[in-house]
Amino acid sequence: MTLPNLRGRVAWVFDEEDYDIDLIIGVRNIKITDVRELAALAMSDRDPNFAASVQRGDLLVGGRNFGYGHPHYPAMRAMRHLGITGVVAESFSPGFFRGEISMGLPLVTCPGILTQVQRGDEIEVDWSNGCVRHLGRGSSLPLQQLNAAERQTLEAGGLIPYLKQRLARSAGAAP
Amino acid sequence: MTFVSHNYFCQIVEILAERIPQTMTEKILARASGQAFVRAGQEVEARPDFVISYDFPGYTDVFFREAREEFGVEKIDTPERFVLFIDHMVPAANPKEEELHKITRAWGAAQGVPVHERRGIGHQVSAELGYATPGAFVVHFDGHVSQLGAFGTYAFGARKGVLEAYVSPSMAMTVPATVKIVITGALQPGVMARDVFHHLVRVMGPSSCAFKVVELAGPVIDAMSIEGRQTLCGQAMFLGANTMLIAPDARTLAYTKDRAKLDLAPVYPDADAIYERVVTVDVSDLEPIVVIPPSPANTRNLRDHVGLEVHAGYLGSCASGRLEDLRIAAEILRGRQVKPGFQLHVVPTSQAIMAQAAREGLLESLVEAGAFLSSPTCDYCYGRIATMADKQRAVSTGTLNTPGRMGSVDSEIYICNAAAVAASAIEGHIADPRPYLSGVRS
Repeated sequence: MTLPNLRGRVAWVFDEEDYDIDLIIGVRNIKITDVRELAALAMSDRDPNFAASVQRGDLLVGGRNFGYGHPHYPAMRAMRHLGITGVVAESFSPGFFRGEISMGLPLVTCPGILTQVQRGDEIEVDWSNGCVRHLGRGSSLPLQQLNAAERQTLEAGGLIPYLKQRLARSAGAAP
Repeated sequence: MTFVSHNYFCQIVEILAERIPQTMTEKILARASGQAFVRAGQEVEARPDFVISYDFPGYTDVFFREAREEFGVEKIDTPERFVLFIDHMVPAANPKEEELHKITRAWGAAQGVPVHERRGIGHQVSAELGYATPGAFVVHFDGHVSQLGAFGTYAFGARKGVLEAYVSPSMAMTVPATVKIVITGALQPGVMARDVFHHLVRVMGPSSCAFKVVELAGPVIDAMSIEGRQTLCGQAMFLGANTMLIAPDARTLAYTKDRAKLDLAPVYPDADAIYERVVTVDVSDLEPIVVIPPSPANTRNLRDHVGLEVHAGYLGSCASGRLEDLRIAAEILRGRQVKPGFQLHVVPTSQAIMAQAAREGLLESLVEAGAFLSSPTCDYCYGRIATMADKQRAVSTGTLNTPGRMGSVDSEIYICNAAAVAASAIEGHIADPRPYLSGVRS
């Protein structure tokens, strides 16, 4: 089983290094639990039209060490609710990476991506061929493959279904 | 025949394992995954010796519910491996917060899992209670648990992934590679472990150890107090590291001797262990630093920011608030006064630390100087209390300086060591602590 390709427009390019994702909804809002409220706040400090502009299947692009700091969950809950289906970044901060893979959000490490795309460009993540394609230009960059547990977590749709599968497997293997 | 050769094979593996050079991480995760040895990059299923959590909405309440509803876990298998702390939202400020604590207490009572509340910040109390057993493998959802690495414990913050430990005996993980950092030279007076950590971020980069483990070594670590080592290891995530480890020495073992929860052999790195890289950082010329907003990536020399007006100071958190922090702050503030209008909050990290600080007369000096003294709680670190308004600015020993963490998004947090917080409280602006300290040339 391989992960399906992700194909969509780049809804936002975070070109900052060490970007703290709490800033997506604003640190003052991280205790909000209503996902619609969170979604409406996403990037509103930078672009009040952001939430309305996102289409289902859109992707985010990030710089180096994306998710640095204390990456709380509301920011990406908001983004997933808006229809964001993955983040492609130069590199990820490990805490953010682990947390969002658990949520079933595909994260794609792709060094060089920041210099290749702009907001609105259409890109495709092709796991089986190990690359991210710029559909307008036809160019591509190699992506870093996930380890087995990460891939299985995404395939299952997040931590809970993945753990259920893993526990069922080990129960089956028991003597 | 098969039986004999299998035994023989096992013996060979054990003999080989003796000779296979390993990092501390490889040794700890090999034991935890029931293998003679493992290598960085290998995927293993490792059984945590302890699963530590503090109660927080969206985490523990969700783990309890998901374990039961999604996985049918009515009763966890080995409650002795689990421990809960109530250290956030202490004391509760509204009924909803207290409801969460009630859920935690009830779950602990039903499962036979100890719940420690009002004893201090869990990462510190974990050490005091002996969960920081040298050689143990510990998981938490919060990454600052890495500070147990000061005791040679592999302590890893798995975020919501820690659910796996609630429903399964082991966790799937990749054995991380190790970056060894050798810290050489000697620290000047007024320069503390906190400065050393942020200096490492400055010279190595905030993602320089991403997905790796850091092993710290060298004369500065050897000379450093246990408390300083806790401060250093607890911030590992801001180098990108999974965790940070220091090989136990006589000081560590003296601390853990009567506390350790498990009878485990301490783990040491082999001299010829394979590191991803070895970095040497000399700190002889290091001076107090300040980490400017908006991120822990921004280490600067404090001297370049002296004079910047500040309105509040926070001395506490799992990254400070220990005896050496309280002692140096008391030395600076003794017989002096906090500038009128400046809000200095001093929060000892645990009850044990607070009691010892009382015995030493430190609390008296701090309070007489005008400090607002609080019992241990995490709540000052993330702005739940002592909240800043727009345009206010704090010096802080808290973990993080993201705008909005301690109040308004238009307030600012400058991270520095405990001595600099005390000196800044006297002057009402960012101040160099060294002129206040005995034995420091002006």
